[in-house]
Amino acid sequence: MKGEVVIGLEVHAELNTESKLFCACPTQGEEEPNTRTCPVCLGHPGSKPVANKKAVEHAAKLAMALNCRLAKQVIFSRKSYFYPDLAKNYQITQYEVPIGENGSIDISGKRIRIKRLHIEEDPASMIHPGGIGKAGYVLVDYNRSGNPLAEIVTEPDIASPEEAREFLKALITLLRYLGAFDPSKNIIKADANISIKETGYKRAEIKNITGFREIEKALEYEIARQKHEGISSQETRSWDAEKGMTQLLRKKETEEDYGYIFDPDLVPIDIEREELEKKLPELPDKKRRRYTKEYRLSEDDARILAGEFSLAQIFEKAVEKTRPVLAARWIRGELMRVLNYNKIDTSEMKINQAQFISLLQLLEKKKITDATAQKILEKLAVDDIDVESYVKKEKLGAVSDLRMIEKYCREAIAENLQAVSDYKSGKDIALNFILGSVMRKSGGKADPKEVKETLKKLINL
Amino acid sequence: MNAAEFVRQAKSGKIDPVKNTKKFLEESKKIDSDYHYFLKFNEDAPKQAKELKKGRLYGLPVSVKDCICVKGLESRAGSKILEGYEPVFDAAAIEKIKAEGGVIVGKTAQDVFGFGSFNVNVGIGYKVPKNPFDKTRATGGSSGGAAGMVQKSELPHIAISESTGGSIAAPACYCGVYGMTPTYGRVSRYGLMDYANSMDKIGVMAKDIEDVALVMEIISGYDERDSTSKDLPAEKYTEKSDSRFRVAVVKESLGKGVEQDVKKNLIAKLGKLKYEEVSLPLTFRYGIQAYYLISLSEASTNLAKYCGMRYGKHEKLEGNFNEYFSGVRSKNFSKEEKRRIILGTFARMSGFRDAFYMKALQVRTKIIEEYRQHFRKYDIVVTPAMPNIAPKFSEIDKMTPLENYMMDIMTVGPNLAGFPHLSMPSGFSKGMPTGMLIIADHFQEKKIIDFARSLK
Repeated sequence: MKGEVVIGLEVHAELNTESKLFCACPTQGEEEPNTRTCPVCLGHPGSKPVANKKAVEHAAKLAMALNCRLAKQVIFSRKSYFYPDLAKNYQITQYEVPIGENGSIDISGKRIRIKRLHIEEDPASMIHPGGIGKAGYVLVDYNRSGNPLAEIVTEPDIASPEEAREFLKALITLLRYLGAFDPSKNIIKADANISIKETGYKRAEIKNITGFREIEKALEYEIARQKHEGISSQETRSWDAEKGMTQLLRKKETEEDYGYIFDPDLVPIDIEREELEKKLPELPDKKRRRYTKEYRLSEDDARILAGEFSLAQIFEKAVEKTRPVLAARWIRGELMRVLNYNKIDTSEMKINQAQFISLLQLLEKKKITDATAQKILEKLAVDDIDVESYVKKEKLGAVSDLRMIEKYCREAIAENLQAVSDYKSGKDIALNFILGSVMRKSGGKADPKEVKETLKKLINL
Repeated sequence: MNAAEFVRQAKSGKIDPVKNTKKFLEESKKIDSDYHYFLKFNEDAPKQAKELKKGRLYGLPVSVKDCICVKGLESRAGSKILEGYEPVFDAAAIEKIKAEGGVIVGKTAQDVFGFGSFNVNVGIGYKVPKNPFDKTRATGGSSGGAAGMVQKSELPHIAISESTGGSIAAPACYCGVYGMTPTYGRVSRYGLMDYANSMDKIGVMAKDIEDVALVMEIISGYDERDSTSKDLPAEKYTEKSDSRFRVAVVKESLGKGVEQDVKKNLIAKLGKLKYEEVSLPLTFRYGIQAYYLISLSEASTNLAKYCGMRYGKHEKLEGNFNEYFSGVRSKNFSKEEKRRIILGTFARMSGFRDAFYMKALQVRTKIIEEYRQHFRKYDIVVTPAMPNIAPKFSEIDKMTPLENYMMDIMTVGPNLAGFPHLSMPSGFSKGMPTGMLIIADHFQEKKIIDFARSLK
């Protein structure tokens, strides 16, 4: 049974390696076009590719993390087509035997099946001066040519743009846990196949969507467009992130024939499954279980923290120095609220972990109040500040001097006799009124709990 | 004078490498004007001969088949499409030759990208090399220039060459010289312009078996830049070992279609040696088909990069890229290049791929096993190197492409299966050389060389 919307993704994640997939050129660095190149990635006659072991290891680990059937060997193939961005007019990829097959990712209780995972080389980038078709020529930059990519192909199990985004986020999380992907350096791109019930599931393929934010937008746009305009035949479209719309590239009539052969320059590489298993880090599922068991977090807290690389990372650092439940509460509650407010995605947050932890420590030792901590956090989210000296400088330290608190309380009681008598007659809420007065006097630096205790003591005398 | 003797004299000062190099170039040019063995002379060679390493090839003139990259020296695999291309690096084998003091004198003629058995499939506008014994006959191919020059040169010289399906054995046989094709993986292919990567092998041609041994010792060995090269300990080919060899002659190779003199000379060359007959039915029935299906599938992808964009022949880059690529390729690829690209593309098209390309891979595995079963019993397996003497150009003109491809019947087996083999002169017929092919198990080059020594 097909749903209203049927989406399948082909994701290309650039793997985090120092050198390219088949040569020693650096994958990152010099931006001047055609400088990070050599005879191999330019396809010079006589040059030969040699597979990058690190890239293979990343991909094999990813296959395991995606619960794929892991191939015994990595076997490369040549995919032939003529295009100016291909140095050899064939791309080295995998065909018959991909490194992983039949895997899955679970997102909010739903399973998205992974059809295959394979390794391939990135083609060069093409620069269209003034936009596609405008200049009458293109420029080709081979700096990227040969960078290692993992291609992850899903079954058409995704039912909405939100699910697509969630899937991509979950995939990025896995990649980051594995150390196979660094969002500050590596690019993740997706092609999406999408069809809707109303048009009889005629399929459009949207090419080149960069990042998980864009994927939701692109798919939302395309669903609306298909509902509105309909779709005549199989279309290939491109996503223009700037304009926020998809554009027709071509109507597909026939499947292209890539004439695959095994790449005879590359010998099969054995995959040492047991060795790799030893190197596999703790993945979200296991983490979630450990968080509930070891740190006594709620299921919900554990799922959210474990499901996001950056949150898990900051949480695990925090529990070395503070109470886990406090850390979890502040990360899930306040930290996410502040990030949300600043429209920073958790995967992209750059908060100073050490400073965040010292904030938690100050809280735990009651040196600052919740209210103060919230304010500091708001600042810390956008600005790298030293929490301790900031507290000192701004005189934000909690008033822990009991004599001061008592003084403020006595004053407040004297000033709010009506409220005092209301409280005495059973209106508990009246105490909050007096509390508010004390907090104002302390400039928000008194611990409300402490104040309440003191007030009760004084009133009941 | 063989190479080792030449090097001794050069080191002792009896021979001056610079003068010798100049002389070699002069002689070669004279020969070349008649026989067309060179595509490019290295005019810097005398200058380079001034600063040579005092290695095991000190001062020795070395010619290089055009498809093997020599830094800064125009290298085009015999094809017009690479005209003007100067490699930016030396092939691994060339690095080793230079490190031993060898002098690169030029690039030798070949069939385009190795596509031929007679060296008549030359690049558009290039000349066909002629047999050193009879100018109306072919040198054999694809390494025709190398074999012709080795035979014709009066001065000591060795030729670095390459074989995919018989490109060393065939011309060595027709020109009456030694031609060694090592095991696939023995010599690094780094810097070799690909024909069929799963079968391409760099080897050597020389007049003397000791020269073969010396050069093989130098160019062999693991290279991390070619992942198909094997990491094995170096072998001392120059050290002679006295062994007894268990020898077999392949029955099919002495059957129909093989010239009488070729058979006779082979048996005479074996002399009193005891040998048995073995059979390779699968190899002789399906070897050629499997070889051409695999090699052309690979070749058609290898040649895709020659599109007039990054190197070699190009025109003003304009218009639609597809039309531009087609234009450059139509104009600069010869008929044989086009034929092989089309055949190879066909063999790997979906719908045909399983029946042709994939099936051929399976056949190759079976053929390797067929040889292996004999190598469990025999050290050496012998066949003629070519079924005939070098044909006349007028005869070649009459051959259909299929008849032409069938000429590889002797050489295709060991090439397809990656077994090392040596083509060795076995005698003469009508004034033309005949040859025998000595084949051994993978990485048993030493046995082949010692066996050839024993027959000398």
